[in-house]
Amino acid sequence: MNVRQMGQLEAVVMDRLWAWDRAANVREVLEDLQRDRTIAYTTVMTVMDNLYQKGFLTRELDGRAYRYSAAEPREQYTARIMEEVLSSSSDPGATLLHFVERIPATELRRLKAALQHPPSKGSLR
Amino acid sequence: MTATLALVSYALVTGTMGAHLLRQARWADRSPRLGIVAWQALTWSLLTAVILAGLTLAIPVWPVSADLAGLLRSCATLLSNQYATTGGATVSTVALALVVLVLVRVGHAVLRAMLEARSGRRRQRNALALVARRDDRLGALVVEHPSCAAYCIPGGRGEVVLTSTTVASLDADQLACVLAHERAHLRGRHDLVIALAAGMHAAFPFVPALRYAKAEVSRLLEMVADDAAAGSNDRITLATALIRLAEGAVPAGTLGAGGDSAVARVRRLAAPSNPLGRIRMVLTLSGVAVLAVTPVLLAAAPALAVSLAGYCPVGFPT
Repeated sequence: MNVRQMGQLEAVVMDRLWAWDRAANVREVLEDLQRDRTIAYTTVMTVMDNLYQKGFLTRELDGRAYRYSAAEPREQYTARIMEEVLSSSSDPGATLLHFVERIPATELRRLKAALQHPPSKGSLR
Repeated sequence: MTATLALVSYALVTGTMGAHLLRQARWADRSPRLGIVAWQALTWSLLTAVILAGLTLAIPVWPVSADLAGLLRSCATLLSNQYATTGGATVSTVALALVVLVLVRVGHAVLRAMLEARSGRRRQRNALALVARRDDRLGALVVEHPSCAAYCIPGGRGEVVLTSTTVASLDADQLACVLAHERAHLRGRHDLVIALAAGMHAAFPFVPALRYAKAEVSRLLEMVADDAAAGSNDRITLATALIRLAEGAVPAGTLGAGGDSAVARVRRLAAPSNPLGRIRMVLTLSGVAVLAVTPVLLAAAPALAVSLAGYCPVGFPT
């Protein structure tokens, strides 16, 4: 099980828990995953334990097994990671390269007007 | 001493007037690649001028010799001559220490910029892995999000990331433009170019020329990517994509920050491509070459003058 496969499984498990929006134990997740692939109980257990350790899942002991739930809703998680991306202030070394930064509303109007009537080569300043 | 003074003056003039002139230059927008090279040459020129100023102060007369071993030997002799007097020794030591300091600072800052960017990207990639899905048709990662955004995660395994709103808001041609622009960034490893400029600025934040260099290089790189994207698509389509994305980027009611360069990009794309003519290009490249070479010439001039005048090779013990 290499890192990439682990990563893919983590995504799949999170996907399930987010979709179900309730607590689930390893067996429930395993049975669902087994519909599409061969996978061992211990693998699913390891993946869910990793996710718990990383803080993506919370868990409660229910008898002898844990029941896991997503630590935060999917939208909230996505909003959080995109927040860092979209806030322009925190990236002095250009970790990511954005397609465009924000354009003030007044400029947007003027630019849209300019595009309706693009200047021809002859009229360039 | 004259070489040192010449180099320091050169550094001051280039760092202030030179940087100012380059900032005002309109031609950079017409041929952004050339503009970037010019800024890199300016930075290189400043750095070498400062280092050579230190070295010429430490070793006042440089031997000119084609024989490397002889050169090193005579350097060592000259250095020991310097250290013969306490005055000379102090000056030399301080000058050499400063040179080493500058070099270490540059190396450290640039390396740090690269490593921080790399770990930031790894974090992004890992964070996205849980929620982004790969769209094979677009060849990009798509993440569910209510506002428009498009960006790339540079590096060895570069990725383009789009939000679901972006995919919904742009038509196929506009999306193609956005993808082409981001891929140009990835292919060209523009992240390395920025890391260099950012590193230099971080090393010496009090030097305005380096601050301008970083800002200008970032701005011009966007234009390089724009040109690459517009090449196989259409300038107006790309300009429209820029506007659509900017419109959708800020949910209604929130503040918009910056955007000067975005406006300039749209205006630039609204007009036909107008690269520099051949003559201007040659002139500019010559200017770049002059920038790159002048510090070395200034440092070597005294020694060259002496050698050419046919005096005894300086520093060789008889």
